[in-house]
Amino acid sequence: MSKRTPVTVLTGFLGAGKTTLMNRVLNEQHGQRIAVIENEFGEIGIDHELVINADEEIFEMNNGCICCTVRGDLIRIMGSLMKRKDQFDHILVETTGLADPGPVVQTFFVDDDMKEKLAVNAVVTLVDAKHIWEHIDDADEAKEQIAFADVILLNKCDLVSPADLDRLEARIKAMNGVAKIHRTINAEVEISKILEVGGFNLEHAIGVDPKFLEPEYPFEWGGNFQLPAGSAELVATQNPDPSMKLVFLPVSSGTEEDLAKAREQAVRIFSSLEVTEAAPGVAVNCDAQLHELMLTEGEMRWPLTVPETGYYAAFTEHYPEELDLKVIVSGSEVLAAPAAAYKPDHEHDEEVTSVGIEESADCDGQKLNAWLSALLRDKGTDIFRMKGVFSVRGNPNRTVFQGVHMLLDAQDGGPWGSRTRKNSLVFIGRNLDREELNSSFRKCLA
Amino acid sequence: MFGVGKEPAEEEIISLVSASKHFPEQWTVEMDDYPLDLRWSADGLWLAALPSHGRILVLDEDGNILASLPGHEGGNGAISWHPRRAALATYGQDATVRIYEMPPQDPAAAFPFSKDHSGPPSPSPSLVIPLEKGWAERVTWNADGSLIAASSGRTVFVMNAATGAIEHRLSEHKSTVCDIAWNPRSPRELTSVCDGGARLWRVGETKPFGHFDWGGASLIVTWSPDGRWVVTGDQTPSVHLYDVRRKHPLHIQGYEFKVKTLAWEGNGEWLASGGSASITVWPCTGKKGPEGAKPIQLFGHLKEVLALDFTRGDSVLVSGGRDGLLLLWMPHRSTDPALITRRASEITTLRWSPDSSSLAFATADGDLTLCRISKK
Repeated sequence: MSKRTPVTVLTGFLGAGKTTLMNRVLNEQHGQRIAVIENEFGEIGIDHELVINADEEIFEMNNGCICCTVRGDLIRIMGSLMKRKDQFDHILVETTGLADPGPVVQTFFVDDDMKEKLAVNAVVTLVDAKHIWEHIDDADEAKEQIAFADVILLNKCDLVSPADLDRLEARIKAMNGVAKIHRTINAEVEISKILEVGGFNLEHAIGVDPKFLEPEYPFEWGGNFQLPAGSAELVATQNPDPSMKLVFLPVSSGTEEDLAKAREQAVRIFSSLEVTEAAPGVAVNCDAQLHELMLTEGEMRWPLTVPETGYYAAFTEHYPEELDLKVIVSGSEVLAAPAAAYKPDHEHDEEVTSVGIEESADCDGQKLNAWLSALLRDKGTDIFRMKGVFSVRGNPNRTVFQGVHMLLDAQDGGPWGSRTRKNSLVFIGRNLDREELNSSFRKCLA
Repeated sequence: MFGVGKEPAEEEIISLVSASKHFPEQWTVEMDDYPLDLRWSADGLWLAALPSHGRILVLDEDGNILASLPGHEGGNGAISWHPRRAALATYGQDATVRIYEMPPQDPAAAFPFSKDHSGPPSPSPSLVIPLEKGWAERVTWNADGSLIAASSGRTVFVMNAATGAIEHRLSEHKSTVCDIAWNPRSPRELTSVCDGGARLWRVGETKPFGHFDWGGASLIVTWSPDGRWVVTGDQTPSVHLYDVRRKHPLHIQGYEFKVKTLAWEGNGEWLASGGSASITVWPCTGKKGPEGAKPIQLFGHLKEVLALDFTRGDSVLVSGGRDGLLLLWMPHRSTDPALITRRASEITTLRWSPDSSSLAFATADGDLTLCRISKK
């Protein structure tokens, strides 16, 4: 099983930039022999690589299980590619914009020949940073393409403001906390970031996204303002929702530590039932009380009462940019520093989310097997992907799992070495119950 | 489940009865690429060897290369001999069927031939039939040699073998056709398989006369020599047998892998199937065939069985596997195998000569070897 050829699956809605990226991969001097299977745009003639045009065909399974559904066209073409003496270093599979990535990825887990000779290195999803908002709430394909991704390229970043990009990135991270996100223009990205992902990058993902295992927050944004005593003003011009909650609370300095401390206080304030409604014109006090700004058409202004000169941390239910909300003092905008985006807890009831679990105690191998089997059997349809590094009692090596729906692939992850033994796992899917997943996993601990 | 029974350990392989002295290797020829298929001409004089890419070789029993036919651009698909004379059809991803008459009349093809196939003759085809572009999986000659069928994408084309004229297009397949096979007892009946099971066609009719859609994809298909059974190997690890007269489907599950090889004993009474490291041999006689019958299971391979073939006369089975083992079986006498050889790479295809005097087999690294059976 050691010499499995790595496969990168490229997904993304039509127009997201897949062809641009593919051409870049094909034309760049990376020294690898790459076979490209492409679905959408006809054949591309490249001398030293092979491009095969494939009609998308699903092989249905007679048990009716979507989790076992595979792509017949891929099996046929990959089978043909594997029957060559001169093997490829890498295979890149482009899916159509509307393709469900499930059957594509499952093909490499389910089909005997594919399992034997190929391994999914990464699912790379291109996201059109400007137009994704048109699909992200409605199109299952868009959500699933994001949910299945190991790497997400936020492409066409030049067409979107930095604030909107932050908002998009936070939304995507709420759906898939594991994926590595790169911001690109014209799909310009180092090829190694696409081809050398190494399949299983949980540790890497946790490393680059410390928020991943954090709890979710009742607010999306927080920032620290230095304000003079007296009267300032809040001004907004957009009303995407009828109202938005916010709180201003005094902090001792403008440091990140103070913002983090204030964040915990803000969580408690947001969870309280005392909310002061503030129609435009009604004063908002910087007194650690929760206010609900009532949004109307046109420009809205709220007097902001500042009891004394100092630092005030603000936490807002949505990104201030969504309302074009500004703090004005003496006619000038005051910018927040530092500021932070938070993973919101209010966007995902029926949506795609990630749940991460981390436990330091060893787990019992038998209990773990039983738990995973039962979980994937019962919830496999809703779990798009699952990844985990387990510390199993009695095993000196790491145990590495990755799964797609009900299918699991377990590998020996090599010695722990200097790393601390612990269990890290993540689920990406729909209707995930964080508490239930955590508590049921804890029962597997030895 | 088949194949989850006794799996032999490495030392058991070493202790297998060796049959190698009865199968002296006569010659080995290197093919251009991964061997897909080996086919003997009806008279047993010529062996055609099909690699996945590159030249298609036609050899005699001594390993002389009679012809080195150009490969099909984009990859080779399939080969088929005329049922009675030495005419070979080749087909590939360039969507053309080519027919070659053997031995070639080309003066350059004069004997003696060289084993170095860089220089052997490359005769011109007697007929080239262009088809619509689509995935090219199979070409096959019918039982009386009058028609050739080839699958291209979701369509099966039936051509006049003498003129190349396309006489029929058989469509309504819901996905790319994975395999086709003619009824050996009826030159006008064939079956095709794809996602959506098997269809039985009678040439000249636009609709299939039989359609068995079991809700999944079938990958290979074969008719029993007596024309009674159509059998498929499936993507979901299983085998379907259809009793064509009774239109009665039988679904056999329990295989470990998708079933990629099936072989009939010469008179059609027994069917050997791969789909795991063991071989399962089903009785296909009586009113019900395998229904309710106990199969013979043959354990000996370490990994998946990839190729099977029975001799025509005396029910000797040869199997080749992903483990590189080439094993000999006489399933009606014993379930113990004899080891013919073990190769470093997987055995992808094998074929007995029509008179069972020679066995040709090929490995994934491109080596084609012929063993002649010692009479001693």
